[in-house]
Amino acid sequence: MVAQRKILNILMGAILPLAVIVLWEVATRERLVSPFLLPPFSRVMVRLWQDIVSGEIFSLAGQTFLRLAISYSVAVVVGVTLGIMMARVRFVRWVLDPVISIGLPTPKIAFLPIFILWFGVFDTPKIVMAIVACIFPLIAGTWSGTQGVDKYLVWSAQNLGATRRELLLHVIFPAALPQILTAMQVALPIAFIVVIVTEMLSGGSGLGGSMIEGARLADTARVFENLIVIGLMGFAFLRALQILRRRILAWHPEVLQEKN
Amino acid sequence: MTNTKIKFENVEFTYIPPSGRPVRALERLSLDVAENEFVSIVGPSGCGKSTLLYLLGGFLPLEHGEITVDGRKVSKPGPDRGIVFQHFALFPWKTVRQNVLYGLERKKMDAAQRDELAQKYIDLVKLTGFEDSWPAQLSGGMKQRVAIARTLVTDPDVLLMDEPFGALDAQTRGILQEELLAIWGLTRKTVLFVTHDVHEAVLLSDRVIVMSARPGRIKSTVNIDLPRPRNSEVTRSQNFASYCDEIWGLVREEALVASGIKT
Ligand SMILES: Nc1ncnc2c1ncn2[C@@H]1O[C@H](COP(=O)(O)OP(=O)(O)OP(=O)(O)O)[C@@H](O)[C@H]1O
Ligand SMILES: [Mg+2]
Repeated sequence: MVAQRKILNILMGAILPLAVIVLWEVATRERLVSPFLLPPFSRVMVRLWQDIVSGEIFSLAGQTFLRLAISYSVAVVVGVTLGIMMARVRFVRWVLDPVISIGLPTPKIAFLPIFILWFGVFDTPKIVMAIVACIFPLIAGTWSGTQGVDKYLVWSAQNLGATRRELLLHVIFPAALPQILTAMQVALPIAFIVVIVTEMLSGGSGLGGSMIEGARLADTARVFENLIVIGLMGFAFLRALQILRRRILAWHPEVLQEKN
Repeated sequence: MTNTKIKFENVEFTYIPPSGRPVRALERLSLDVAENEFVSIVGPSGCGKSTLLYLLGGFLPLEHGEITVDGRKVSKPGPDRGIVFQHFALFPWKTVRQNVLYGLERKKMDAAQRDELAQKYIDLVKLTGFEDSWPAQLSGGMKQRVAIARTLVTDPDVLLMDEPFGALDAQTRGILQEELLAIWGLTRKTVLFVTHDVHEAVLLSDRVIVMSARPGRIKSTVNIDLPRPRNSEVTRSQNFASYCDEIWGLVREEALVASGIKT
């Protein structure tokens, strides 16, 4: 029963994408849109297959993935650490609170020209840009997660002999985990978008760079091929985070009371 | 009388909420508890019973008066004064076993001994088979039993219990009362036990303290002169019934004051 329902859910989720693909294919075959502006879906797929066989697409996606992986990991580690420190060290809170209030709503991508000036055009400015763009929700989310931890949990740990450090590790951090994971889910698409956009704006290959090049060469099949790969990657990353969340929050009513 | 273990001297406490008016919870409260004595505290809801335990636990800053344990001033929380909170306060991200192990892990002890001890207390509170459950999967009564095991397992010098059996059904409550009597008989800890259940207070205690309506003070003290070791048998005696009546009368008066029916 459960398995059947799962399959049904997946099928329902597939309805809309499939409809779009069919519409896309029919519209281009019937010449309702110029195949130059929108190449048929089948042609994009053929192109994707060729690039899979040649390995070309893996090298492009790999570059983008590496930049994303590095910037996102650094942002998560640093952001969560800063968020927790804000909760525990008054000085850090004083320093960071205004920085976050300003940094959170600012469109960070505006700093790209500066970063290119400072760090050149290769990997560094792209990675720095992505870190700067996605670290604010991570700090803010972690910090707010550490606020309002049930005082009786803190007291229990103290009563059982926890030191200040243990209190942080064993109570404050796990209590903040649901919000930290939410912040990670918010930050990932931001980092991904920024990596793609920096690749578009400052070259250096990757999926973003390849798309811009495709557009310049009037190779729309390549643009759409890259777009589809970007979409699939984003989908896979968010799914992976969802699975991670359910693993880590196995104790949480959110997971324990989950319905199919 | 034997040595004084716990001493409250002119203790006052006022809650100052971030907004709204301050609440005076305790006023000039003095109380001595002897070593190995089992003392219960009863009184109307909101009279400051929990506050009293929190102060002794070292969780709230004491501004007026003094609280000492073995002659030393209480200044911060510590495992020498084990507390069972009214609302369990289990770590939701730890399983039953991990919760019970937490206090033991703060002590120098080898892992095998730790596991064995934890299992012993899990069995004692009748949670065998639920070792790997999360707190969110347990009933209120089961959570409360985990909280009791988690505190008892660390073998604290002084035991503070805030309505520990409040969320239990009558049967389990009866069983755990007898278990507590048995444990107390063996280890003879000093216990400060808050309850709403007069019957329970008389069954367990050497002395029952009746608190006045807020701000809490000590209204009266009733020494329970029933033979030990006790079990549920004792509840059938005439003496038992008259102790219950006496304390009931005292609590009732205060409850009426607290609800504004009488001043
Ligand atoms: N954090 C707080 N802020 C403000 N007032 C508080 C706070 N905690 C308790 N109080 C007040 O202090 C008084 C004593 O509270 P306490 O919890 O000690 O009562 P209690 O005797 O344990 O009651 P109960 O039997 O219902 O558990 C109550 O009237 C309550 O309104
Ligand atoms: Mg209370």
